[in-house]
Formats: sequence, C-alpha cells, structure tokens
Amino acid sequence: MNVLQQVPRNALVWIIISLFALVAPHVARLPIWVLAVYVIAVIWRLQVHRGRWSFPGRWVKVAMTVSGFVGIYASYGTLVGLEPTVALLLTAFALKFIELSQRKDAYVLLFLGYFICITEFLFSQDLLITLYSVLTVVLVTSALVALHQPGLNRFNRGTARLAGIMLLQAVPLMVVLFFVFPRFGPLWTVPLKNHTAKTGMSDFMKPGDVASLSQSADVAFRVKFEGAIPEKSALYWRGLVFSRLEQNVWSGLGYYDVPLSEQRVDEVVTSGKPLSYSIIMESTQQTWLYGLNYARARSAGVLHSSDYRLMSPAPLETEYMYKVNSWLNAPIEMELSDWRRKTETTLPPQGNDRTRQMALDLRAAAGSDEAYIQAVLNKFNQEDYVYTLRPGKLSGQNTIDKFLFETQRGFCEHYASAFVFMMRAADVPARVVAGYQGGEINPLNKTVIVHQFDAHAWAEVWLENKGWVRVDPTAAVSPLRIEMGLEEAMASEGSFLSAAPLSPLRYRSIPLLNQLRLRYDALTYRWQSWVVGFDSEQQFDLLHSMFGEISTRVFATLLLGSWALVLVPVAISLFFKRATHPVSPLDKYYRIFCDRMAGLGLVRSPGETPGQFAHRAIEALPGFKEELLQITGLYDDLAYAGVKDKAELTQFTRAVNKFRPDRRRGLVEEDITI
Amino acid sequence: MQVRGLVDSAVQEVGNILLGKEPQIRLALCCLFARGHLLLEDLPGMGKTTLSHALAAVLGLSWKRVQFTSDLLPADILGVSVFDTKDASFTFHPGPIFTQLLLADEINRTTPRTQSALLEAMAEGQVTVEGETRPLPQPFFVIATQNPVHQSGTYPLPESQLDRFLMRLELGYPHPQAERQMFERRHSGAQEIQNPQQCIDLEQLEMIRVEVSKVHASENLLDYLQRLVAYTRQSPEFEVGLSPRGALALLDCAKTWAAMNNRSHVVPEDIQAVLPSVASHRLVPSGDYAGDGDALVDLLRRDVDVIGR
Repeated sequence: MNVLQQVPRNALVWIIISLFALVAPHVARLPIWVLAVYVIAVIWRLQVHRGRWSFPGRWVKVAMTVSGFVGIYASYGTLVGLEPTVALLLTAFALKFIELSQRKDAYVLLFLGYFICITEFLFSQDLLITLYSVLTVVLVTSALVALHQPGLNRFNRGTARLAGIMLLQAVPLMVVLFFVFPRFGPLWTVPLKNHTAKTGMSDFMKPGDVASLSQSADVAFRVKFEGAIPEKSALYWRGLVFSRLEQNVWSGLGYYDVPLSEQRVDEVVTSGKPLSYSIIMESTQQTWLYGLNYARARSAGVLHSSDYRLMSPAPLETEYMYKVNSWLNAPIEMELSDWRRKTETTLPPQGNDRTRQMALDLRAAAGSDEAYIQAVLNKFNQEDYVYTLRPGKLSGQNTIDKFLFETQRGFCEHYASAFVFMMRAADVPARVVAGYQGGEINPLNKTVIVHQFDAHAWAEVWLENKGWVRVDPTAAVSPLRIEMGLEEAMASEGSFLSAAPLSPLRYRSIPLLNQLRLRYDALTYRWQSWVVGFDSEQQFDLLHSMFGEISTRVFATLLLGSWALVLVPVAISLFFKRATHPVSPLDKYYRIFCDRMAGLGLVRSPGETPGQFAHRAIEALPGFKEELLQITGLYDDLAYAGVKDKAELTQFTRAVNKFRPDRRRGLVEEDITI
Repeated sequence: MQVRGLVDSAVQEVGNILLGKEPQIRLALCCLFARGHLLLEDLPGMGKTTLSHALAAVLGLSWKRVQFTSDLLPADILGVSVFDTKDASFTFHPGPIFTQLLLADEINRTTPRTQSALLEAMAEGQVTVEGETRPLPQPFFVIATQNPVHQSGTYPLPESQLDRFLMRLELGYPHPQAERQMFERRHSGAQEIQNPQQCIDLEQLEMIRVEVSKVHASENLLDYLQRLVAYTRQSPEFEVGLSPRGALALLDCAKTWAAMNNRSHVVPEDIQAVLPSVASHRLVPSGDYAGDGDALVDLLRRDVDVIGR
C-alpha cells in the first residue's frame, strides 16, 4: 500500500483513545455486549497493526454487521427510537475501526466521531457533559492532526497540544457563529426516548397502587424570580389537573373531552403588580409546564388550557425556558358553566359507599360549603391520620373507604384524592391538582430549585363568589410538609431520599459539600439560561436590538461580516509574521522539497543533513535517484560551497518545482507495503 | 590537493599498530592539524599510549613522555635552574615540556597544582620559570591521557581546564575482528610493535594548515553553527552551554575535517563528524537531565535543524 495512505501509529493510538472517550458517556445506556465489541475491535486492530492477524474478510464483515443489527434488536426489542439508533451507530463505529486500513477510512471514522460526540447531547445537555464533550472533540481532533504527521511513529502528546491550539484558534469563530448562525428548526424529528423519565409526573394518579413512594433528587425545574421570592408555602407549582375519576384512577381531560364552547377561557380579571419569573425546565418528554396560579405566560408559544394550565405545543425534549406572570390572588372562573360544574362533580356511579355517606352527613351538618371544607380538614387534622411515604398498598375496589376508615396512612395523593372525592360526593365542584410544592432556594444566585421529590398533589374547590380556591388537605395532616418541605416532615421516618443514597442532597449537613452543590447548581442555571436557552427567538431579539430590522440580506451581511472580523486580523497577523521572518529562497525551496518527500513517507529529521537525507532517500526510492542527486547537489553548491550564481539558484528552484513525486515511479519500483 | 593522500597514509600507518580504530585516528589527526591539544580518555589498557606514540612517530615530531603521579611537581615538568659552581651562576635545565609533542600520561593522577602548570603552557605556548619566560618549540602539542574520572586516585580536571583541550576522544573496546587479528599477531610471534614510518613532515604539516585556512565556511553553515550553539545555551537539558571558544573550536575542527576530505568548503556533515569529540567534554547536563555529555551531543545532532527556516 502507498505510504501516503498509511495510518501512522501515533494516529492509531489517538484514534483508540478517542474511541473509548466517545463511548464512555453512553455506557450506562448500552447493553454490555456493545462494550465487548469495542474491546474486541481494538484488540483485533492492534493485532493487525502488529502483523499477527489480518483484516476481516468480506463474509466476516457481513456476519459482524448482521449480528450487530440482531444484537441491537434483541437488546432493545426495536431498531427504531433514540437509544437503539445510537447504540447501532456506536456498534457500527467500533466495527468500522476494525477495518481501518487507509487514511480515507480514518477520515470516515473521525468525522463519524464528531457526530457521535453530538449524539450525547440528545440525552443530556448538562454542563459537565458539555465540558466532557469538549475534551472528546480535542481527542478526535488530535487523531485528525496525527493523521497528518506521517513521520511520527511513536505516540506523541504534542499532537494534542497542536490540536488544542487549533481548537482555541477556532473559539472566536465559534462564539460568533453561536450568536449569528441561523437556528434552523429540526429538519427531521428524532424518535423519542423509549421510556419516559423514571421519575417526575405522570398523566394519571392511582393512589392505592403505590406501596412506598421513592423520590428522586433530580431537578425538575429552576425558577428565577424578578423580585423577592415568595414564602415557600405559597409556591404551589401547578402542572396537571385531574378532573376525572374512573376505576380508582384520576386522570386529566384530553383535548377532545372538552367541548368546543368550553375551550375558550374567560379572561381572568387581574389586578396589582404581577409576580414575574422565568422557569427553565429539564426535559420531560411531556407537554405540560408549571406555574403559580393564576399564571399567564410572557413567552410566545406557550399555550393556556381551559383549566388554567400552561402547556407547550410539543413535548420537551431538551431544556426549555419560558417566562411567566402570576397573580396569586386573582379570582378564577367566577362563573361556572353547566358542563364544567357537571364534569367537576362527577363520581363513578358506585363504590366507596361509606365515604359517600360520611360526606353527605358532614355536609348536612356544616351548612355551607366553606364550613364543610373546614370540617373535612379538621377530620384529617384531629383524627389519627398519618402522613407517610410508606403507606402500603390498598387493594380492592373501595380504596378510598379503605384509606379513610382502615389504614389512615398515606401521602399527598391519598389525601387529595379522598378530599376531592368527599367534595364531589357532597356535590361541591372539586378537582385534584398535581405539581410541585416549595423548592430549595439557592442563596448564591437566588434561584428556586424544584426537585422531583417536591412533587405534590392538592385540591381545588369551586366556591360561589370566590371561584376556584386551592385547598391542601396534606397541610391539615402534616403542616411541616408544606412549611418546611419533605425532608423535615420525613425526619422521623427516615424515608427522605432513601432510594438515592448517593445524591449530594442527602449530605446537605456537610457545609462544604452543600456549598459545592449549590455553586454547581448556580453554574448550571447560568449555563442553561445563557447557552442552552439561547434559541431562535432570543437570537432574533438580540440581533434586532443591535441591528434593527433583520432581513435575509442583513443576516447574510452580519454572518459574513463577523467572519471577516475574526478572520481578517488572523490573516493580517499571518502576513506580518511572514514579513518579519524572511526565509532565504534557498531554504524555502529545500523545505518544499522536503515536504514533497514527506508526502512519500520520507521525513527528514531536523538533524539530518541534505547529504544524509538524499542518501537515505535514494535507498528507499531508487526511482528518484536522478532528481534527488540533482537537487541535493545544487543545494550543496548554493548553501555551502559559496556559489553565488543567480542562474544556479533559478536552476535549483526549477528543479524543486518540477519535482512532483507521485505514484508514477519510485514507488512502483519498490512499493512499500504495510 | 594532496591533503587527503597524506592523511590516508598517516591513518594507515597508525592503523597498523592500533587496529580497527580508524575514526579515532582521523579525529586525533584532525585535532593536531587544527593546532589543538588532545585528551584521550578511557580505561587502562585500551591503547591510549599506543595511539599517542604512533601519532608522534607518524608526524616525525620530537616527543617526550611524562608519567603523571600524585607526587609530581611543576618543576618536574617545566624544568629548574640549578646553581653551577663552575660559572657561579644559575643554569636552566629545561624540563620534558620543551619538546614538540608531550605525552602526558594519566594526567588526572596528579595534583591540580601540577595540572595547572601544564595547562598554562598549553594555553600560552610558553612557560615562565623563575621570572623568565621561555617559548616552547613550534609546533607544540600535548596529548594527555586520563582514566575515567570515577576511578580511584584521580583528580578530575575542572571544566575550565577541559576547555583547553580541543578534542576529547574515547577509544572504546576494539571490534571483535580487530581484536582477533591482534591475538593472531601475538600468537604468530610477528613483530608486534613496529615503529611507524614518518608520513608527514613539518613542511607538509604547514601546507595542511594553509589548506585548512583556505576552506570556505558559508553563511548557511555558520547559521547552523549558531543554531547549535544557541541550542546548548537555551535548552533546559544543558547546565553549561558551549563557550565562544568551544564554538570556534568546533568551526576550526570542521574546517580541518573538510580539508582532510579534500573539500574546499565545510558542509554540515563536517560539523557533525567532529561534534562529539569537540563538544562532549565541554557540555554539562543540567540536574534534571539524566544523560551525560555524549547524550547531549546526540540531542544536538538530532534536534537542531540543519536547514534554516
């Protein structure tokens, strides 16, 4: 094979390093056999390099490809979807490495490497992941640089330095492109992740089914208030409304469940200064957004539903930032339509008879709806009801009876569900609301961090002249839960984050760790709000504020102009750098000659004299003997023998210019093979 | 030009006695042609003395030999004035240094005091005894031999004095073939030590020196020399770089080497050929660097670019 096409050993080492660096962040999502493929691929290729084994034959390759597909299908049960596709790509990446024999293969592999680096962002755009990806980009670029250093046969760390310098030089351009380059909408949509997030909200609620609630310390969203942060007990982040109870399952109303006439929301009369804040949601793969009632979005593209929720038109596949105004005391839906009243008072025709009876009795005794609510809350508060995360399962049909009269142990879902049931049983419009309650205030940047374990469910009751009023039955059972948060409320039970032993949240009592955690969170917020949240809308706003009306022409000018702004200084500095270091034409041309020899795989080491180099070159490439002798002889005359003849210099430069070695001779006579 | 012929015959003549050491013999001749003093360093029994005797004989120089010992005094080398009762005056009795070629055997066995007396003579070409300066004969060469410094009973020469030697050569073990030949000669009882014939007389020596002075050193070559010198002064591996005297020595030797190869101009190969023997004893590695002077020379040869940029 042609020397020119060989992959130098240094490059091979860098490729192997980048191979493992690229697959590392995917490990948790991959079946173990894919990693085995990586190890086998590297061993195989190294054995090929050492001359022990040979490249796989055609049928072996076909067999490996087919078994790759079969393996992915066997592991994931499908070939469609984000995770199987990425796994397939990673497997193909490893297999391609085995047959890496020529430079062009290495190019394919490395460019694919950049692409694989990007796939990680489909799963996470965390700050640390981003930093790690920068590292992998440096590694892949090093491999690419090493590919162009044919003389280096030993592993060389300087390659990474060179790659780092090149990438640093690209940073200004990168920054400019970040701000200026058009953000296209997705050209195709990537299939969603197979399973929804393991924690977080689901769109139904079945309290009896959960024996023990495991919480996760993942962040649900972060909030930045424009003014002071309200009391924790006022932070009811409303996300889902469950208006329907069927077979002991609470669920929300779908789009088609609401008649057209009810789709429009009556304008809520707001007064006073709103509470303004912006929320950055982690990706949920769901469409609902969170806000403090009554919430009106300030960002374009956020929908408002008929039960006053905020919604995104598309599932959130990445972090999503939106701005909201909230009026906490605004009265909502003063007039209840017949349809709405019917919907919010409907119960299943049978079941839970004891609860129904008790509800009717209590309502009759109370006299008014307000008094009735108070009576139910008092019941929760004064009788032996326990707030616990480990309530045990409720079996059978009449789960609410069972909970209210037998176990009397439960968490927010149990209380909210039972409360709303009792309201509806007495014909009071009520519904279950799910979302998050409270949040952790990061003192470093004054954001509120809402974790998954802050998830909560409460009730809304419609009262004459008051509209929808929030009632939290859990607060009646365990006031600590609302005022201090879950951790304090669960201190005696010890069940707080029992399923996440390694979460830094559990070690909040160590000041240094806590400080580090909060600092990292503040950094994440900044990263999300500045970099991840910079979408086409913000880009447009920014460019608009700087340059006025944005047309295609302005945009193109801006793009090209900013490139020029970055590149012209570089060009100028290069120009002057050249000028300050005059190279004698003699040495310049000799170096050109050396470069052409390097193209043939013969690299002159710095300490090698022209004579020694020519000697070595003639031995390796006897076909070029004549030219080599001529060029070296002329150089010798001009450089050392003191010949100051213009004509001879011209002859030398001509000889070098004419010297364009290719595969025509020399190599044909003595083909260098691997 | 007949320099090469002369050199070849001299090398051959010495090579008859010291088998298989042609490169070292050439370098030793180069050192003498460049009017430099030569330091031979090696283990005992490697042929240091043999080489120096043979060189003296080939050049037809008057020579004297001093075996340096720990109780040798300066006067033992330079000479002493003795009171002559007949004339009632002091008469100077010149020491062994008054010769064209002085063989200073095992120079590092003697005390620094005696060493410095010799080294002054080497630098100045004259000696001063009892207030009277006496010139030494022309030409004046010193070929000193020494044992490796770490051997017991030695006073290592300081760097400043090593610098006075133009070249330092190590002979090394002979090639197996040459050694075999040596055994066979001894076995066959053939005349082992034949006195080598004189090949170069004083006139020819002068002619060689004239030829050397005519050798052209181009701009490009001086650039390379400067890059070499600069590297020794800037690179972190070097504690002590090449002095200007060292750089000049390098140039002189390279020119002589070019002349010895019948070339009228110096090429980088000439510099590289003499570099180890001229530079290795002048370079001191820094504390962080594990190698010795030879390793530093390798570094120079490998890393300093021959071609300017």
